[in-house]
Amino acid sequence: MGGLSASLLIGVQALEANQGALNATSNNIANANTPGYTREVPQFTEATVSDVNGEVLGGGVELTGLQSVRDELLNMQIDQQTSAQSSVDTQSTSLQQAQTYFTTTGGDIASALSSFSSSLAELSANSSSTAEQQTVVSSGQDLAEAFNTAANGLTTVQSAADTQVTQTVAQINTLTAQIASLNGQLWQLQASGQDGGTVEDQRDQDVQQLSQLTGISITQSNTGETITTANGSPLVMGSQSFSLQTATGSNGTQQVIDSSGNNITSSIQGGQLGGAIEIRDQTIPSYLSQLNTLASQFSTAFNAAQAQGYTSSGAQGGNFFTVTSAANAASTISVSNSAQVAVSSDGSSGSNGNVANLSATLTNKLPSGQTAADAYASLVYQVGNDTSTASSNSTAIGDNLLSLTNQQSAISGVNIDEETTNLIKYQTAYEAAARIVSTVQALGTVTLDMGSTQSY
Amino acid sequence: MRVNPNLVPDILAGLQQSQTTLNQALEQVSTGKSVNVPSDNPAAASEMVQNTIETANVDQYTQNVTGVLSQVQAADSALSSVVSSLNQAISLGTEGANGTESAANQQAIASQVQGILSSVVTQANTSYEGSYLFGGTASSQQPYTADSSSPTGYTYNGNTGQNSVAVGDSTNIQINLPGSQIFSNSTTNVLGSLSALVTALQGGNSTAIGTAVSGVTTALNYVSQQRIFYANADSQLNSQETYLQQETVNLSSQQTSLVGVNMAQAAINLSQAQTDNSAALAAAAKVLPDTLLNYLVAPS
Repeated sequence: MGGLSASLLIGVQALEANQGALNATSNNIANANTPGYTREVPQFTEATVSDVNGEVLGGGVELTGLQSVRDELLNMQIDQQTSAQSSVDTQSTSLQQAQTYFTTTGGDIASALSSFSSSLAELSANSSSTAEQQTVVSSGQDLAEAFNTAANGLTTVQSAADTQVTQTVAQINTLTAQIASLNGQLWQLQASGQDGGTVEDQRDQDVQQLSQLTGISITQSNTGETITTANGSPLVMGSQSFSLQTATGSNGTQQVIDSSGNNITSSIQGGQLGGAIEIRDQTIPSYLSQLNTLASQFSTAFNAAQAQGYTSSGAQGGNFFTVTSAANAASTISVSNSAQVAVSSDGSSGSNGNVANLSATLTNKLPSGQTAADAYASLVYQVGNDTSTASSNSTAIGDNLLSLTNQQSAISGVNIDEETTNLIKYQTAYEAAARIVSTVQALGTVTLDMGSTQSY
Repeated sequence: MRVNPNLVPDILAGLQQSQTTLNQALEQVSTGKSVNVPSDNPAAASEMVQNTIETANVDQYTQNVTGVLSQVQAADSALSSVVSSLNQAISLGTEGANGTESAANQQAIASQVQGILSSVVTQANTSYEGSYLFGGTASSQQPYTADSSSPTGYTYNGNTGQNSVAVGDSTNIQINLPGSQIFSNSTTNVLGSLSALVTALQGGNSTAIGTAVSGVTTALNYVSQQRIFYANADSQLNSQETYLQQETVNLSSQQTSLVGVNMAQAAINLSQAQTDNSAALAAAAKVLPDTLLNYLVAPS
C-alpha cells in the first residue's frame, strides 16, 4: 500500500516532468526561426511500477529525454540538391555576364560584321573614293575591336571564376574543420547516451553549407560521419579534417590539390567550386576557342583576298588584319598599320575587281565549314542556350529543393500552433500536478490532526 | 502526415516567381523587344546575327543600285547622242556623195563631219562624278586625247578592264564597257569610220565617199548593238531594285517575328503579371501573421 508520501512523490515527479516539457516547448518556440533547428519532443515514460503485496501501484511519470525529430535520408537528398543548385547558379551568374558580350548592342561582333560587310558593298560602287576606302579601314578596326572586347570580356569572366576557386577552397577548409570538431563533440554525447540535439543541428547546418561549396558524399560509421568529395578525396573523417589546397597550374589557373597531394581539379563536381571550375575550364575556353578560330580564319581569308588585288597606288595588297598570336586570335586581332584596301584587280586605280573577292570572304565558307556570320551565329546560339539552360536548371532544381525543404520542415520544423497547444497542455498538467501536491499537503494536515484537539 | 509549418520559403518562391514574370513583362513593353539577351531565345538571337548583317547589306545594295543606275543611264544617254551624231554623219555623207555637190560644199560638209567626230569624242570622254565612263578601269584619265600620229587623230588612253558592282550577295552587275570596245574596235572603228569619211569628203571622190558612208553605217549598227549592254544593265538593276525592296520588307518582318513584341499582347501580359504579383503579396500578408495565438484569450 502506497502512502501519502507516494502520491506526493508522484506529484513532484509530474511537476518536474511537465516543467521539463514546458522548457522544451519554450525552446522550440524560441528557435522557431533558427536555421537548421530541429524541433525537440519531450519523451515521457511511466515510472517503474511498484508491486506492493500484490497490489500494483503506478510510479508516476519520468521525462526520459528530448528527442530531436530529423530524417537523415532527407538531409542527404537536400545536400545533394544544394550542391547541384549552387553549381548551376554559379554557372548561370557567369554566363549571364558572358552573354552580354553577344547581345546586339552596336559594339558587338554581329553589328561590326554587318557594318564591315556593308562598307565593302559601298566600296564596290565607289571604289576610287578615298573616303569609302577609309570607311572600310575604320569598320575593319571596329570589327577587330569587337573581337577584342568579346575575348577580353570572356577572359574576365574566366578569371573571376578562377578567383572564386581559391576563395571557395578556403571556405571549404574552414567548414570541414568546424564539422570535424562538432563530430568529436557529438561522438562524446552519443557515447554517453544523449541525444545530439543542438550539436547535430549545427553539424547538419555546416554540412549543408559545405554541400553548397562542393559536391560531397557522406558515409556514416561508428566513429562518426565521413565526408569526401565526389571523387573520394577525404574532407572529414570523424573528428579529423583534411584540408584542400590550391596551386597555380601550368596554364596559370588555380588547381585544387587534396590532402594526399593529388590534383583533383577535373574531378570536382557540384557546388560553387564545381560550377566555377566548369565555367573556367570548359565553358569559357570553348567559347574563346570558337572566337579565336573565327578571328584567325576570317583574317587569313581576308588577307588572302587582299593579296589578290592592288591598292589605289598600284601596290599589291598587303595584310589588312594582323593577328599576333593564332591561339589568341580574337584578343590580338587588329587592323595593320597604314592598312590599305586592295580594291583593284589589275593595278589600275579605277578598277574595283578585287572588292568582290574581299566581300566574298564574308559570304564564302571559311575552313571551319561555315561563313563568318554563321560561325558567329552558332556561337551566339550556344552562349544563349547554355545561359538559358543553366537558368532553367536552376529553377527546376530550386523547385525540387523547395519541395525537399518543405518535407524536412514538415518533419523537423517548429509549428507555433502545435507548440502553443503543447504549452497549454503542459501548463494544465503542471497546474494539476501542483494541485496533487497541495491536496496531499491538505490531507497531511488532516492526518496530523487526527486524534488531536489542537489544529495545526 | 505532419503539415509543413513554415510557409515562408514557399511564399518567397512564389513572390520571386511573380516578380520575375513582372520584370520580364515590363522589359518587353519598355524595350519593344522579346529578345534582349541571347538566353531569352537562343535560336532567334542566332538568326538575328544573319538578319542584322543582311539588313545592312540590303540597304547598301539598294544604295548601290540607285547610284549605279544613274551611271549606266549617263553612259546610255552618251551612246544615244553618239547614235544621232552618226545618223547625222550618214546623211551628210550621203549628201556629199551626191555628184551634184560642188567641191567647196564637200569641203564644208567635211568640216561638219569633222565637228561630228569631235562631238563623238566628247561623248566618249563623258565623265560621271569625276570618273570617265568609257576608259575601262583607267577611269581617272581622259580616254581619248588628240594625237596627230594616229590615223583617227585620237589615241585611246584607257584599258580594257570592266568593273562590277555588288548589288546582292554574290550578285555583281557589270556596269561599263571600255571605250576601246565601243569606239575604237579593231574591226568596227567608230572614230576611224568618221575620220575616213572626212578624208573621203575632202578628196571629193563620190565612190570613196559612198564606201566611207557605208563604213559609218556599219559603225552605227555596231554602236546600237553595244547600247544593248547598257539597256540590259538598266533592266537588271531595275529588277534587282524591286527584289531588294521586297528583301527589305522580308528582313524587317523576319526581325519583327524573331525579336519583336506584340504590344497588345505584351501590355496584357504586363497587367496580368501585375495582378498575379498583387495577389501573391496579398495572400502572403493574410497568411503569414496567422497563428493560434491570435485566437487565444490572454489569461486574466
